[in-house]
Amino acid sequence: MNKEILLLMSCGILLVMTGVYMLVLYRNLLRLIIGVEVVAKGVTLVFLAAGVYRQDIGLIQALLVTFIIVETVLAAIMLALVIRAQKIYGSLDIRNLSKLRG
Amino acid sequence: MLLWVLLVLMVLLSVGCCIFKDLLYVAVSLATISAILALVLFMFGANIAGVFELSVCAGLITVLFIATVSLTKDSDQKGETRLPAYFVPLVILIFVGIDYFIIQHFMHAIPPAAIPQPSGTFQKVFWELRSADILGQLGLIFAGVFGILSLFRVVTKEKKHE
Repeated sequence: MNKEILLLMSCGILLVMTGVYMLVLYRNLLRLIIGVEVVAKGVTLVFLAAGVYRQDIGLIQALLVTFIIVETVLAAIMLALVIRAQKIYGSLDIRNLSKLRG
Repeated sequence: MLLWVLLVLMVLLSVGCCIFKDLLYVAVSLATISAILALVLFMFGANIAGVFELSVCAGLITVLFIATVSLTKDSDQKGETRLPAYFVPLVILIFVGIDYFIIQHFMHAIPPAAIPQPSGTFQKVFWELRSADILGQLGLIFAGVFGILSLFRVVTKEKKHE
């Protein structure tokens, strides 16, 4: 396989793992959202690697644009939720969001 | 060589996102990751996706993050992580090992791509082949707008009751 594709894939996988690490180990809500964003960057790189592999950049660009829009809407909604949570609970620590317990 | 430098920089900045304590630095690191990703997209000829990445992810999302950080300034920053910060490089090294294992053992098993059949230019793919995606994107944007409006409408109602 092309060296560039392997490089893109490995960097994408590494970014996904770093993002998952942030999602698992951090307790601040904003850090969790940044973890989701880092995962999204990794997925974008893997998408690009797939496009280079298939030599079909046109199709992958269309998918990437859709993905970027999904990512933006997700980030906006999550950040709005964070502001609401901070107003209600006075904290962004996920341990303090006690009303969310089942 | 340039691709190597850019990708290593991306990984280092993502490690920075884990290490930095100030959330503003973390937001700026994320914006820089987006900008570098846009450069990588440009390098591979994905110009339109690169422009979207640069303007939306590096621009808009960063502004939203910084606004949120400043709006939630007084929140507690202590005890954010379950592991101390000096464990992060060690964990990243373990991740690099896992990544190397995955690339060595699984990626080489993927067969070479068949004769490429490009779907066409971005405009053709976006407006003709994947036109249903546009409907989904419009739906998502409206869902986002109405979601945020409904979240903040509750605040104004509460204020009126007070």
